[in-house]
Amino acid sequence: MINTIAYGLTIGGILYIISIGLSLTFGTMRIVNFAHGLIYTIGAYLLITTLPIFKNNFIIGALFTVLAVIPISYVIERFIIRKLYGVSIDYAIIATYAVVLIGIDLIKWIWGASPIPLSDPIGIDITLFSVTIPLYRLMIIVLSLIIFVTLTIFFKKTMIGKIVIAALEDKDAVRSLGINVDKYFSYVFIIGSCLAALGGVLYAPITSVHPYMGMMVLLISFAVVLVGGLGNIKGTFVSAFILGLVMAITGRFWGPAAETMVFIVMGIVLIFKPIEV
Amino acid sequence: MIAQLRKNILDLIIITAGFFAVLPIFGINRATDFIIFCIFVLGFNLLYGYMGRLSFGHMLYLGIGAYTITLFAEHVSKNPFLALIASILAGALIGVIIGPIVVRTTGACFALINLAFNQVGYFLALVALSRWTGGEDGMSAYFNKIALFDFGKKPVIFGFCLFSLLFTFFILKRLLSSPYGILIKSIKENEIRVKFLGYNTFKYKWIAFIISTTISSFAGALSILNYGYVTPSFIDPTRAVEVIFATLIGGAGSLYGALIGGVLYMAISNYLASYLSRWEMFLGFALLIIVFRFRKGVWGYVKDKFAIKAHGMVR
Repeated sequence: MINTIAYGLTIGGILYIISIGLSLTFGTMRIVNFAHGLIYTIGAYLLITTLPIFKNNFIIGALFTVLAVIPISYVIERFIIRKLYGVSIDYAIIATYAVVLIGIDLIKWIWGASPIPLSDPIGIDITLFSVTIPLYRLMIIVLSLIIFVTLTIFFKKTMIGKIVIAALEDKDAVRSLGINVDKYFSYVFIIGSCLAALGGVLYAPITSVHPYMGMMVLLISFAVVLVGGLGNIKGTFVSAFILGLVMAITGRFWGPAAETMVFIVMGIVLIFKPIEV
Repeated sequence: MIAQLRKNILDLIIITAGFFAVLPIFGINRATDFIIFCIFVLGFNLLYGYMGRLSFGHMLYLGIGAYTITLFAEHVSKNPFLALIASILAGALIGVIIGPIVVRTTGACFALINLAFNQVGYFLALVALSRWTGGEDGMSAYFNKIALFDFGKKPVIFGFCLFSLLFTFFILKRLLSSPYGILIKSIKENEIRVKFLGYNTFKYKWIAFIISTTISSFAGALSILNYGYVTPSFIDPTRAVEVIFATLIGGAGSLYGALIGGVLYMAISNYLASYLSRWEMFLGFALLIIVFRFRKGVWGYVKDKFAIKAHGMVR
């Protein structure tokens, strides 16, 4: 059981890292960004390609991947997302979905459609409370906590963070202070995309890498965002870990139902707490 | 009803003539496919084009119809008409059950909750209920011959589907020109004002949702009558983009737009996909072009051109 909880916390940590970017773009720009899942997939593929170059040094590979995603996400932001501000939300969904279609086809073109397995980069198991857990998973939990603390400080202490938080509350008021809100939104978008790529990098050794891996994760991240509240940084953190645990515990009893259970929880939450967008 | 029918007879003749015109180009098999897909697009368009609610999980309702008719034929009766009625009822039932949850939301939440439900349905069909649905392999459906209606024969199924399409079109046309239809369109424009006027918008949105799921389910059932075989691809949420694309390319919010979009999409996907290996990429770029440059779709474009000519003015 402790093993299951540890697994749930690992998934929760990765889910948090992925969904925080989604939650921020959703909360600030009111744009549902399907391309987030694509960035996640690209992250995993870039890691696989660059690992042999960096002599299988996982940390450098991960860092390179996270940085390499910046230009990609900038292009998506500049040419697609920025043109969709204030337009009907349906067009944003369709346009970002179109980006996903193009991206997945490109991935299939470059890397092929068959799944690629990746081994645990640390490969050491540690024993805690008489249960053996791979060290890698513990590292993910620690990393997600570090990211949570860093982001909280970022949004409380730095100027960019404060502007974004203010824009989450009232975009027009911030704009009337003479601040170019869109510029800060693109920062948020790029940070979110980097975190999505990091999520892909971290999740790649746990599952196999394939072109459609982003879609399912994206849906679960949306569930995390909707349960935690749009643009709510703390709420996203809590709901990511709760839904991670839900997935792990369901998966322990009946493997294939793990993801479906997340949507059932989301449905129940939305019945009692509908969201107006 | 009859007087109304006489009013709309021109529409029905145009549609019939249109499908008979494409019949020699595409062959009877594909033309039947096109008609069924058009019914599905009509059902989706009622929600998206007229009420302004984009559903990203409409495959669920198509799949419900497809699985209901198959299971009904397998376990209850091989009468195709009873099975059709059962699947229509099932489509309505799913709308009644999940409608109250879904229609309270708008925009992105509406799209995503539909998608989530679709994911649950896909899981049920593929894994959880695979003992009954045949899982990934799917299952075949056999229907008895009733009088003239032998659905194994292609002209019969073509005729029946065309009749179904005309019937759906007629019902929707009547519905949309009624006060109720105007109310739905006003909900798209500004729901709060409709509420101010004293209407219980929840009820009307729910009814529109039920009609849409029923039509989609009907389309799913018809495609099983046509193919005789159901697979999880009928309920696969990743295929939701097909109907969205069809609606957009034809022009959302018009019945003819839905028909044109359905036929165009099916023609593109049937023929282009065999020439173009990177078919998904083409679809992606086409969607981007539509969203940024061509929002009104083919029918909207044609209508604009025609209006300019008729009034002799250039905007």
